[in-house]
Amino acid sequence: MDKQVFNIMNLDLYYGKFQALKNINLIIEKNKVTALIGPSGCGKSTFLRVLNRMNDLIDDCHISGEVYFHQEDIYREKFDVIDLRTRVGMVFQKPNPFPMNIYDNVAYGPRCQGIKDKDELDKIVDNALKSAALYDEVSNRLKESALSLSGGQQQRLCIARAIAMEPEVILMDEPTSALDPIATLKIEELINDLKEKYTIIIVTHSMQQAARISDNTAFFLTGEIVEMDLTNKIFTTPKNQKTEDYITGRFG
Amino acid sequence: MSMLNKRKRIDFLYQGITYFASSISLIALAMIFYFVWSNGSGLLNLDLITKDYHAQYYNGELDENSPFSTMERPIELDENVFYSEKYGLGVSDGIDREGNPIILVVYVSSDSPLRKMQDRNSEQIISLEEDMLISKVSFNDKATALRTFGAKYMIDELDSAVDFREMVFTSIGGGIRGSIITTLYLIGMTMLVALPIGVFTAIYLNEFAKKNRMTNILRILVDTLSGVPSIIYGLMGLAVFVPLTIRTTSATSGNLISGSLTLAIILLPVIIKSTEESLKVVPDGLRQASLALGANETQTTFKVVLPSSIPGILTASLLGIGRIIGESAALIFAIGTAVKDDISITGKSTSLAVHIWSMMTDEPANIELSSTIAVIILMIVLILNIVVKFISKKLMKPLA
Ligand SMILES: Nc1ncnc2c1ncn2[C@@H]1O[C@H](COP(=O)(O)OP(=O)(O)OP(=O)(O)O)[C@@H](O)[C@H]1O
Ligand SMILES: [Mg+2]
Repeated sequence: MDKQVFNIMNLDLYYGKFQALKNINLIIEKNKVTALIGPSGCGKSTFLRVLNRMNDLIDDCHISGEVYFHQEDIYREKFDVIDLRTRVGMVFQKPNPFPMNIYDNVAYGPRCQGIKDKDELDKIVDNALKSAALYDEVSNRLKESALSLSGGQQQRLCIARAIAMEPEVILMDEPTSALDPIATLKIEELINDLKEKYTIIIVTHSMQQAARISDNTAFFLTGEIVEMDLTNKIFTTPKNQKTEDYITGRFG
Repeated sequence: MSMLNKRKRIDFLYQGITYFASSISLIALAMIFYFVWSNGSGLLNLDLITKDYHAQYYNGELDENSPFSTMERPIELDENVFYSEKYGLGVSDGIDREGNPIILVVYVSSDSPLRKMQDRNSEQIISLEEDMLISKVSFNDKATALRTFGAKYMIDELDSAVDFREMVFTSIGGGIRGSIITTLYLIGMTMLVALPIGVFTAIYLNEFAKKNRMTNILRILVDTLSGVPSIIYGLMGLAVFVPLTIRTTSATSGNLISGSLTLAIILLPVIIKSTEESLKVVPDGLRQASLALGANETQTTFKVVLPSSIPGILTASLLGIGRIIGESAALIFAIGTAVKDDISITGKSTSLAVHIWSMMTDEPANIELSSTIAVIILMIVLILNIVVKFISKKLMKPLA
């Protein structure tokens, strides 16, 4: 098995005339947590959406360059986007459970793929909730509305929902920014557990978080990757002055 | 200090304006209820909504074979009811809406020969029932008992004569059962057509349509059509749907189908617009979450977006139903104004609103009955409101 999950080469991305990503070159390694850091508006979310082609939803967004998922260029013509999204899951900044009960939320993805068998779905839901460390809290209220959960529980439900698809990669866009410290801690622990099975790419504004949970870190600035390295190198001996300024909080 | 005072004054002024405006609204709306209720509540009773509009006249004679037996006066009959043991008939005096005396049938025994009379015109068996009016009874051997002579006289004459030659009686009429049924039919049939078409159009516009000329034109049409006076739709109904239904069904004139189709066109812009509004407020985050899970657009729309917008669609339906109940101008053309008791979807009939219209154009205008119908319309709308609220609560429960 190859160790490169994503290989991004010479990626440029434009919103209309505005260039949001400039000449991005990056390799995402398997079963590692990669953190994307950088000031607001530097293109972290944009980059994340490149990887599961969620930018397709934005009308005037177009890209050039190559993005390989394993050996496959995901931007070639006739590429199966739906299939990509079942293999590359996403967790959003704001918890966004569907207005359905907890069970149906987790079973949503598999059902969309045509899985109808009750026992099979039960098993998927149970496993996903266990993997997301939510099972104990909700196992006796699976038929209750997902919106009745707390914010932290909702976010873990969204993670469970993504896990239920058994993806290879999970993209997380500031998954803890709407949560309190305890809920944040729970999710960080969860990410640590998940990395055995999944490749995780996480956008975060918290330097501590990036340092705590990630193996690799990429520092973005105005659409470019300034520096990309092992996390402890970035945080102890950054090569670039701008990186140092940013992680030490000296950055405007 | 003066800054603060000024702010306070402005605050007071603006709050005063909102207070004033809502008082006026309250008064205006309450006045409608008061007007309708004070004029119309007098006639309000169950008979009105269960009975036919047109009075039926009957000429009955006794069937020679029907046996006579003495039928005892039931104890529950009121004191002022005059009772004939021979016929098992109880009648009382009354006056009709024009102030003329009438004889009202209060009780007819189930064994009474009056239950099985021969119709002198059609040879059919006809039955005298409670709540009918007896106009006169003609005898072979004595003078006719007219209603103007009163109930007591009629009973005395019936008891003292051997038999009678002819009894003329009428059902009361003036009921609005037919118009209520028509209105319900119109609601059902119109919604059946307009709701799916409207909802799917809105889904297309909001979820699937690319911005192109066709969708632009559609939007402009929707916006324009919602402002067109309904009488123009009525003309279209008359020009298109009436001939169409005459050609394709057994209808021979304006009918419930042509009326419903016309109403459906009137409702389309309403339903499209409000469904679109409710689709717009579904958070984009939900669509993205669904797509990111590998659902396609259709799955996203029908499994996530549409369920979340059900309350909005129900509100749209309610607006639509209100429009159907309230519409008169278009229906006058598209169905006609004939008040009917036997309702068929390919026949003429009137909705409650048109019923009011036709009574108010009669000479003299029947304000009282019109107001009563208005009360009934208000009650129907109220009930529908409650039902829709209830349904939407039930549906939203798993979502809350
Ligand atoms: N849909 C869009 N249309 C046009 N421009 C966009 C769109 N989304 C993002 N941008 C622009 O692209 C740039 C990068 O945005 P992006 O959301 O990727 O930043 P970010 O690094 O995720 O910021 P934050 O940390 O605040 O989330 C910004 O300048 C933003 O204004
Ligand atoms: Mg972002």
